[in-house]
Amino acid sequence: MARINPEFSKELKKYGGFDLNACYNCGNCTAVCSLSTSENSFPREMVRYSVLGLESEIETSLNPWLCYYCGDCSSTCPREADPGELMMSLRRWLTGKYDWTGLSGLIYRSLTASIIAFVVVAIGVIAFAYAQAFNLETILHIGHYFEMFAIGGVFAIILLPNIIHMWYLTILKPKTKVSLKTYIKSIGDLFVHMFTQKRTLGCDDNKTRWFEHFILVIGYLSLLFTTVFLDWFSAQNLFIILLGYVESAIVFTVTIIFVSGRIQKKKEVSQRSQPSDWFFVIGLLLMGLTAFIVRLFIDLNILDNNVWMYLFHLIILAQWALIIVPFGKWTHFLYRSFAMYFDKLKTLEGVYNE
Amino acid sequence: MQSQIIKESFDTLVVGGGIAGGEAALNLANNGYKVLIVEKDLSIGGKMILLSKVFPTLDCAACITTPKVSEISRHPNITIFTKSEVKNIDKIGAKDFVANVTKQPRYVHVDDCTGCQLCEEACPVSVTDQYQFDLVGRKAAFIPFSIASPKVAAIDIENCTLCGACERACPTNCIDFTQEEENYEIQVKSVVVATGFKLFDPLMIPRYGFGLYKNVITSMQMERQLAPTRPFNTVLRPSDGKMPDNIAYVLCTGSRDLSVGNPICSQICCMYSIKQAQLIMGSLPMADVTLYYLNIRAFGKGFNEFYDQAKGMGVDFTKGKVAKITEKENGNLILRYEDIETGKVSESEHDMVILSVGVLPNQDANKLFSKEDLKEDRFHFVNQPDILASPAKTSIEGVFVAGTATGPMDIPDSILSAGAAASETISYLSRKK
Repeated sequence: MARINPEFSKELKKYGGFDLNACYNCGNCTAVCSLSTSENSFPREMVRYSVLGLESEIETSLNPWLCYYCGDCSSTCPREADPGELMMSLRRWLTGKYDWTGLSGLIYRSLTASIIAFVVVAIGVIAFAYAQAFNLETILHIGHYFEMFAIGGVFAIILLPNIIHMWYLTILKPKTKVSLKTYIKSIGDLFVHMFTQKRTLGCDDNKTRWFEHFILVIGYLSLLFTTVFLDWFSAQNLFIILLGYVESAIVFTVTIIFVSGRIQKKKEVSQRSQPSDWFFVIGLLLMGLTAFIVRLFIDLNILDNNVWMYLFHLIILAQWALIIVPFGKWTHFLYRSFAMYFDKLKTLEGVYNE
Repeated sequence: MQSQIIKESFDTLVVGGGIAGGEAALNLANNGYKVLIVEKDLSIGGKMILLSKVFPTLDCAACITTPKVSEISRHPNITIFTKSEVKNIDKIGAKDFVANVTKQPRYVHVDDCTGCQLCEEACPVSVTDQYQFDLVGRKAAFIPFSIASPKVAAIDIENCTLCGACERACPTNCIDFTQEEENYEIQVKSVVVATGFKLFDPLMIPRYGFGLYKNVITSMQMERQLAPTRPFNTVLRPSDGKMPDNIAYVLCTGSRDLSVGNPICSQICCMYSIKQAQLIMGSLPMADVTLYYLNIRAFGKGFNEFYDQAKGMGVDFTKGKVAKITEKENGNLILRYEDIETGKVSESEHDMVILSVGVLPNQDANKLFSKEDLKEDRFHFVNQPDILASPAKTSIEGVFVAGTATGPMDIPDSILSAGAAASETISYLSRKK
């Protein structure tokens, strides 16, 4: 017997959930959604679970990740119950659920906690620079190593266990039997979805949204590769230098489009922004922009006199690597791809045919 | 040339000659009061006169409306202005209103026309027939519909080529292109607002494809196809004239839907859809009929039994709001909906789709008064400040309201409401000071 928990909708409001009790169960949202299928029918199912507070049904479901938020369900909802934003809040809630440290949920629920985290990290970076007597060379050197260790550490300590937790909740807990062969056979899907987000193309809205996002992901990942593994800030090779400029320019230009979209609120998808959304897009924008300026200062030979610029970049980088990547919206990059992978496993094992 | 203003006086001005306005006028006239009905259309009878049958008794709508309309038009105490509009009403004092009414020219002398239809035969111009809801055509010289009152010809001057063929064909020389607009100044003691409602325009929901897919029609178009005076003498789908054998109804089209700005229930679309489904089963015995609904609201006397009867006849009721309609090459339509019983997205194919359109306010009522404020409710229907004790009263003393001008309602309720408006008006008129 499932237990009903009416408090759940209040809890969900903290993650940005909307007036789900307005729903009169007409099913328009599910039928208007171009990604919804007879195997995976959403979002009304999720609205019902949320109204009733059936947490175990929600945490074992992949459906919130299968929605790519075109907003059709919200703009055509006859009760203005905003099912699209509910799916978004469930993704935030699930991110908190998967995270074993519990920090994710805290950051999503509380703006104060987020701000404290950002301030603490910033002070930490300044304290570190102070300890190094603001020597640019050592700061640059350690900053570069920080990037490597942060990536490795965050992945090993936070993200990997969280993905295993997600796998436990969505595959093991519902007792889905998946053979090793299926795991191996479907692994390609994981990477295809991770690097192309091609499912977005199934949404009915225009394709520019997918294109902008795709360019941003590619720009971001290659910038990460260029700075960490090709050591862009110390590079002498003209090709690498130019590559870094192009990549960082892509990152901040596309994020400017995203930020202005959220300010103008013209599209359904950018109607409602939670602090976590702002941190994510603005963080990405500042990362691209500061990286670009730092390299420009290096090429103009003025970084020595403007250590603050690199320090600013390092603060953004540290906040990004220590807060947004492990606990913030960055994680959707992994969870969405793994959700597509797990969904493929379930499809191949015939879960939906039963 | 400045046209002369004709002055007349009555006890009551009834704005709107539909079933509610007509019923209110009849009650007043039978009590000895002089009534003027101002109707903007060419015929009185409103929307009801165009219907097929009425729920829940399946009585023929025309058989109820036609005698009533005849009684109204022959009553010595009732004057009817058709093709006329109330431009403005001013309240001068207690039991003293002055209304400016404009009568548009019909280009036919009503008293001389015999309704022989020879002008229709002679007229070379064909346009879509609004009284058959664009299912078929009519001429520019035409009789609105066979049971119209008055049953006299009119010239659709906007489409007329002024060729004169009708004038030559007319045996009574009643066609007169020199007619001009007439302006009246009407003095009355009371006003009954019976301006009715508007049907929801499904073009506002592009994902249903109305206007784009020929076999998606409105419930009013289906009403015409089922009426005794129907255009095809059977039910045909528009794209190829095939007799449909698998018909879908999309209930709540434009009702209970905030996304189109109309959150309220039409109060009629469940029942008229159930009625039409039963009539289709009579007209096309082999056809399957499916109603896609959110909730079936069968609340009135005999309504639930009527719903059960439809289920007993084999009408399929599927719970789920249709979200999208797409057209196949053969003109059939695919309906996408969530089957609420199973919680799964489903698609089904039908060869004809009827959109059960909702009820919208006729906001013309709110423009009748320039100085006084005829208050409207939050859904823009005429407000009833004392809805429980005196439902016909409005925010202006001496002005009463009847029928769907107050909100969505069915025919029995409209007639009741008109009766209430008439008796409130009578007690207002007979009260000393």
